[in-house]
Amino acid sequence: MNLSDYQNEFDNLISKQSFSAVSQPSRKDTFSKFLDSGLPTRKWEDWRHTDLSFLNKNNFRIPESSDASDGSIDISNYEIPNTFTVIIINGHYLTINSDLPKEITVSTNSNGENWTPKNKKDTPFELLNASLSDSTITITTEPNASIQKPIHILFLCTGNDDLMINPQVNIDISHSSSATIIEQYVSNTSSFFQNTSVFASIEKNASLNHVRIHSNSDQTANISGLHVTQSDDSTYNYFQLVDGGALQRSDIYTNLKGKNATCSLSGLALLDKKQHSATYIISDHIMPNCVSLQNFKSVLNGSASGVFNGRAIVREDSQKTDSKQSNKNLLLSDQALMNSNPQLEIYADDVKCAHGSTTGALDKEALFYMQSRGINKKEATSLLIRGFVSELINDIKNEDVKDYLFEKFDNWLLNNNQ
Amino acid sequence: MLEVKNLHVEVEGKQILNGIDLNVKPGEMHAIMGLNGSGKSTLSNAITGRENYSVTKGDIIYKNESIVEMEPNERALAGIFMSFQYPTVIPGVNNTYFLRAAVNAKRKYNKQKEYDAASFLKFVKSKLKEVEMDSKYLKRAVNEGFSGGEKKRNEMLQLLCLEPELAIMDETDSGLDIDALKIISKGINNYKNKDRSFLVITHYQRLLKYIEPDVVHVLIDGKIIKSGGKELALELEEKGYSWLES
Ligand SMILES: Nc1ncnc2c1ncn2[C@@H]1O[C@H](COP(=O)(O)OP(=O)(O)OP(=O)(O)O)[C@@H](O)[C@H]1O
Ligand SMILES: [Mg+2]
Repeated sequence: MNLSDYQNEFDNLISKQSFSAVSQPSRKDTFSKFLDSGLPTRKWEDWRHTDLSFLNKNNFRIPESSDASDGSIDISNYEIPNTFTVIIINGHYLTINSDLPKEITVSTNSNGENWTPKNKKDTPFELLNASLSDSTITITTEPNASIQKPIHILFLCTGNDDLMINPQVNIDISHSSSATIIEQYVSNTSSFFQNTSVFASIEKNASLNHVRIHSNSDQTANISGLHVTQSDDSTYNYFQLVDGGALQRSDIYTNLKGKNATCSLSGLALLDKKQHSATYIISDHIMPNCVSLQNFKSVLNGSASGVFNGRAIVREDSQKTDSKQSNKNLLLSDQALMNSNPQLEIYADDVKCAHGSTTGALDKEALFYMQSRGINKKEATSLLIRGFVSELINDIKNEDVKDYLFEKFDNWLLNNNQ
Repeated sequence: MLEVKNLHVEVEGKQILNGIDLNVKPGEMHAIMGLNGSGKSTLSNAITGRENYSVTKGDIIYKNESIVEMEPNERALAGIFMSFQYPTVIPGVNNTYFLRAAVNAKRKYNKQKEYDAASFLKFVKSKLKEVEMDSKYLKRAVNEGFSGGEKKRNEMLQLLCLEPELAIMDETDSGLDIDALKIISKGINNYKNKDRSFLVITHYQRLLKYIEPDVVHVLIDGKIIKSGGKELALELEEKGYSWLES
């Protein structure tokens, strides 16, 4: 679709009867900024490895309530035991499968009334999200609450056409509270474009475990912006699994605005065919004594391609910063391609920083060693790939979530090691 | 058991073995000695089927069948084992898990019931005892962080678990302290019987004090230039290799 198609969608959206007029001026302003910038092209530095033709050649529209009328998607494949499941259908219809504890609130707002343009970065997709988002999902914890069971938010997109959703998720983890939130995106439409913006604020001494699962068909584009702000003594653990989708892009900004905060970002991309996954990160150290970790891996098969562009900025006042970046990639085919670019920008002198990146094929020595013990090549390959990814998945603290992620990995492997 | 006939092997376009003949009968132990770079490990790799070790001439016969076209794992399942000169480190792959996969592959091949985690642990415990190895090594990734000697012990453990009929020991004695050398030699001696053969590659006479080879071969420039009894090893220890080369 081109800019005039986006314009049509925008006009349709704001002319809806159910839609609040209050937000219209700022929304129009935001949308015109989007039109001014246009969608990125490969001439843009941060987009030069990412081909957006999937978005250009499909025509997506914002779903209507009628799209979800003919029953629902079978969610049995996406259920994770011992979690609270929250289902968001086509961006706004909310069902909660179980009783949430009173210390946590999940709400949606589907008329855009309390909408404020939260596009902290004026990137095209954030501007698009802010203009086209027709619902916000807000998750708030009470102070001092420790919510053990993960909250599993399942974004389902269903309908017969090519649909797009622009969810906006606000997460507020109040001081000294803790929670685990799993975001997952699933669709059964003919093609699907999901453009999400997530804003998480982790207050003093609070902690958030955040897992995001992008598992979708080859006819899906997942674009997401994630903005995290951390206060003193807070902890943020993020893990993303990408195991499908034609195009996946994460832009992650973490602001370590408090002292003694820890921010750990990790991710695993399992790609094949022509899939593309790109992760761009900025971990911004503003205050002293913070830890930031970036640990990302990809396994690329077919002619898949990936990008890791992780930056850590260590500002003048952020002494005693401990920052590590690691990116490791396994290429299963000669056509697969990875661009890895960990970067450090350091303006403080008393800091501990390290970064590293490796990209290579399966270790032939290790394969031969295993084969020489009677293990066939296929099984040896599986053992090696599993060994490569398990370090990351094993770091997930919740056992049910860990099992679920391993299950997804095993499924992927079944199709990619034949 | 093993018959190597006029074996010529090329590695990456380079001719390394220039016509090796070897005949190891069931129950025999053969020792191979020779200078660095003479081709001893190349011979082991060719027998076990490592990629890029191409047989350009000659044949390797194991149990009356040519094995040069067989995959490495098929050779292993048929009963060939190599203790690596430099055992490979495999990050992320748990040692127990790996060993169980190997033992189960063999059991499946032999149409035996595969071990589950619990029964395998029982099985491996008795083997650990034989090589005096602590079970903590099973919890690590394969050979990761193992010292040189620990790696060799781990090779011996794998041998005992997989019960090969032809075991190639490529410098398993190198880098071992005296106690470890005794343990490994005892392991070899206990394991050896009338149906099991050994091909032992070593630089040191001292190993041959503990284990008694039936034949000693001298390999130079990819050819066996002399074979004899165990006294040949003593002679080499005294005189070196130069008297043989001319
Ligand atoms: N993969 C390879 N590529 C190129 N040359 C090789 C390769 N493998 C072995 N060679 C060469 O073949 C020759 C024989 O090597 P090999 O490892 O068989 O010697 P060796 O007798 O086992 O020596 P050592 O006593 O040092 O273990 C050496 O010159 C070595 O450099
Ligand atoms: Mg050698």
